[in-house]
Amino acid sequence: MGAWITALPIAFPIVAGLCLLLVKFKDRKHRQMWVFPIITINAIFALFAMHSGMAESFTLVHFTHKLSLTLYIDGLSKVFGTMVSVLWVITTIYAFEYMTHEGREDQFFAFFTMTFGVVLGIAFSGNFLTMYLFYEFLTLVTLPLVMHAMDNKARHAGKVYILYMMFGAALAFIGFVFIYCYGTTVHFVLGGVLNPVLIAGHETKLQLVFFMAFLGFGVKAAIFPLYRWLPKASVAPTPVTALLHAVAVVKSGVFAIIRLTYYSFGTDFLRNSPVQSLMLLLTAITIVFGSTVALRTPHIKRRFAYSTVSNLSYILFGIALMTPAGLIAALLHMIYHAVLKITLFFTAGALLYKTHREYLYEVEGFGKYMPVTFACMTITGIGLVGIPPFAGFHSKWALATAAVECGNPMSYVGIFALILSALLTALYVFYILVRVYFPRNKTYPEGYYDHVEDPNGYMKYPMILLAIASVVLGFFPSLILEVLGNMVMPLA
Amino acid sequence: MIFTKQMILLSLIFLPMVCGVIQYAAFRKQETARDICNIVITGVIFGMALFLIGKNNVWTYQSICGNGISFVIGGFRTILVLLTAGIWFVTTIFSKSYFAKANHKARYSLFLLLTEGATMGIFLANDFFTLFIFFEMMSFTSFVLVIQEQTEKAIQAAKTYLAVAVIGGLVTLMGLFLLYQKAGTLQMDLLQIFMAGQQKTTEYYIIGGLVFFGFAAKAGIVPLHIWLPSAYTEAPAPATTILSCILTKTGVVGAMAITANLFLHDRIWGYVMLCLGVVTMLWGGILAVFSINLKRTLACSSMSQIGFLMVGVGMQGLLGTHNALAATGTILHFLNHSFLKLVLFTVAGMIYLQTKELDLNRIKGYGRNNLFLKAVFLMALLGIGGIPLGNGYISKTLLHESIVEYIHLLQKTGQSAFWIQCVEWAFLFAGGFTLAYMTKLFVAVFVEKGTHIKKDTTTIGEKILLSICTLILPILGIFPHATQDRLAEMSVSFVSAHMPDHAVHYFAWVNVKGALISVVIGALVYGVLIRKCLMKKNENGETVYLDCFPVWLDLEKKVYRPLLLQVLPFIGALFARMCANLTDGIVALLRMLIFNVDNGKFIPKEDKYFSAYTDGEVDKTVYREGFARSLLMIGIGLAVAMLYILL
Repeated sequence: MGAWITALPIAFPIVAGLCLLLVKFKDRKHRQMWVFPIITINAIFALFAMHSGMAESFTLVHFTHKLSLTLYIDGLSKVFGTMVSVLWVITTIYAFEYMTHEGREDQFFAFFTMTFGVVLGIAFSGNFLTMYLFYEFLTLVTLPLVMHAMDNKARHAGKVYILYMMFGAALAFIGFVFIYCYGTTVHFVLGGVLNPVLIAGHETKLQLVFFMAFLGFGVKAAIFPLYRWLPKASVAPTPVTALLHAVAVVKSGVFAIIRLTYYSFGTDFLRNSPVQSLMLLLTAITIVFGSTVALRTPHIKRRFAYSTVSNLSYILFGIALMTPAGLIAALLHMIYHAVLKITLFFTAGALLYKTHREYLYEVEGFGKYMPVTFACMTITGIGLVGIPPFAGFHSKWALATAAVECGNPMSYVGIFALILSALLTALYVFYILVRVYFPRNKTYPEGYYDHVEDPNGYMKYPMILLAIASVVLGFFPSLILEVLGNMVMPLA
Repeated sequence: MIFTKQMILLSLIFLPMVCGVIQYAAFRKQETARDICNIVITGVIFGMALFLIGKNNVWTYQSICGNGISFVIGGFRTILVLLTAGIWFVTTIFSKSYFAKANHKARYSLFLLLTEGATMGIFLANDFFTLFIFFEMMSFTSFVLVIQEQTEKAIQAAKTYLAVAVIGGLVTLMGLFLLYQKAGTLQMDLLQIFMAGQQKTTEYYIIGGLVFFGFAAKAGIVPLHIWLPSAYTEAPAPATTILSCILTKTGVVGAMAITANLFLHDRIWGYVMLCLGVVTMLWGGILAVFSINLKRTLACSSMSQIGFLMVGVGMQGLLGTHNALAATGTILHFLNHSFLKLVLFTVAGMIYLQTKELDLNRIKGYGRNNLFLKAVFLMALLGIGGIPLGNGYISKTLLHESIVEYIHLLQKTGQSAFWIQCVEWAFLFAGGFTLAYMTKLFVAVFVEKGTHIKKDTTTIGEKILLSICTLILPILGIFPHATQDRLAEMSVSFVSAHMPDHAVHYFAWVNVKGALISVVIGALVYGVLIRKCLMKKNENGETVYLDCFPVWLDLEKKVYRPLLLQVLPFIGALFARMCANLTDGIVALLRMLIFNVDNGKFIPKEDKYFSAYTDGEVDKTVYREGFARSLLMIGIGLAVAMLYILL
């Protein structure tokens, strides 16, 4: 029984999604009556599986004594799974309204539902093989979502997306093979599974392999120089950019890197090695690079996409510190960034949906006409900049603290990158807000403010809810920190 | 009892914020109701602040905001809270008529109240972390007050304000972060103990400097003053009043807290503060003398007076344990300046309301027949000019005496006191400048003849309120022992100092002498520089004030803006572009090397349709797609290689 509780939240949406593909719905309302319960019930299944304590390890097949398809829920699964489940329900509500102007909603919601199951599959994977399987599957199942518009730009983005992902998966697979050869097991164990007898004499080779696998999973986490797919993919419908390209897909990459670093190769093996310095350097470059390009990008959604590139590397930077404090800081930032960036994309989507304006210079003075949308953007934007006491401040503070304690000289480069990026973030966020709220006193062409108004409840309330959540999380970071502290306890 | 002290303290901070949001939501359209509501709110807060007099308490909330926040009340903080509440109350009343015909009034009221709450938080903070949180909050809410008019100039000024605030805030944050790493705490009294136990303080100068940076930016200390003159000039008068009386002072409070807790009796730190103070004091004075705009002059005057305060802060460090005069002088000048600028900017607001002009040439002679405003302005002039019996005289005398004391101290030990004597003369000169530019304003607005004499629409109520505010000035000046000494006594513990051993004889000849020297300098500057060089008669025989400040001295336009908006972005963009093209660039380079036409090798045809669907896109994306395909190839290659390893 306990085993099936683990498997159900993964299997149910995949099967349901496949069925949704076959069914032809009469109208929009009819479809919503099916999709919404499926997503909600599955989220409840998932939350129940994670937090009831009844879930057990589930093994589908044994290939060899070492290889099997196994699902298992541990602390890290809970953090990632809970985040995804909650945000999925909220995004679904938003998508109901938003997708009305994108069309082909049948197909969209089918794949959207399936993706939910696949992402939970990554979260619940008990060993490297299972995670790799779901990881590949995620690429395939999200491709139709990226290419949804099916115009030239979208198809181009889709192709770039899949090429990058395949390249990444190939590198990651090498990491898996070496874990299989040199590890005691391929299951995830906090602290690493490398067999000290086998690896003796092969340290350099293994570190190189680790770095390749890090880059491989880093493709989804948009690490420099493999970030290009992410800004391109912002042509996808907003619910996809918001949920998948700010939370689910990119953070699957982050999640996989945590599994790789902390649960497979082990931090003791990697700490103070040249690979760690290289990781820190690469993330520091990405942090500054993402923010700099974001500042130069006038397209609002793409600007946020580049901001995501930068923020994902904040998380990777925390991971690369290879300390419990670094992991906690990274996960804290992962959660904060998820809530903040999804809201920012929602507001950008609301703007696009109501007014069809995509560029910064087209939105002067909109704050007055879309008060709720831009209030949400302001709150979460300030959080993203990291102004205390809003969310984002604590995670950056924790990252910097962990970096100081880490001891690798390269981490000071990272601290400098954090400060520089905070400044750039302030600039690229406030640049929008000043335009929106303080227009120059001049007359605008006729029809400039036509249809500039807040969207209806389907889109408005998710934004409000998330904005409030970001404030609450910002005021009480101890809520999350306690959970994370317990999770990494075995490491300390 | 329901109204505990703790609740009062918390409501001082959060009541304005909550009420601000409520009144914004409730009275968006009803202006009268909103005005009354605002006056009531600020009045209630002032009343609550009165309750806290004489209380000494600390409250800590550990679980909020990660590091926990902590408040303290007592001494100087009580006075600051009262001052804030009082000035907000007065300003809100004057705002009513000032904004009678303006736009965005609801927004203004909302952010005025939000700023009040944040400012209270700054003054009540017990540790630097709490202080920083509210400091940032205040920076952003006050930004809306500066940009209020939304003219081109106001937007420009507000953007500069925001940029300086953001950069300053981040640098301070970095400093606080490093400090926290070193000391393990940010609580002020604990830091003092921690620093007392440190042998080597070299690295702490850097940390302290970083923390100080943000506060210096807010206080308008040279060279971070660039935002101050334009922001003061472009903000509406009530907002300027608040900026000058309270918000800029938060920076000074920060500087005082750093000096008193991190670098108590530290000579090197004291010298740095002193130098910054002297430069700011003189430069602000010079800018004010040259300015021909009423509010701009007062703004530069604020800057100059903050220089005086920083001189006091510096002297506290230099004098070590004998810093009673410097400490009391700083605190009293802090308070006196707030009282004075409240009156001065309110008068400026009234003049602007009637004339819609601030240029001295346009408002010339406006107040010639307005005895009331003339008297009020004269009182403030005497106060800020440091004339005996004015309130500024007392604090300036104390600051001057502290410099003299240090000169004596140096001479007694046989050290050269040359530089400190220079500081003394700079101090007297800056005092002279103060008198000169105030006289310039007074003569221009209230003495000379002008053409624009309009009816005064100031109501009786406003006149009474302004009179009360003005009456405080001579009372403080004439009865210093009964008023100012008491205020100082309450406050000195904030800067970890004591009261002077003997009561100071403010009106003794030694002390009056300094003021007289300043008066003579002021008369010379006014008579020679301003009347001869900065004014001329036009063909009609009218005097005209000339704006002959050299343009090349504009630090913002000549240095900061080009640096921040052109040079650094260029470098950043270059870096970003190089990074972005790194991967594609390698592909391009390899193509050039391998498929070179000259060496006669076969040049493969581009796969135009690989991932592009329109002809327009093909040319642009050649290398990019080449790269994408190469990635795929590498992936396949690696997989094959790995299979080989496995088998």
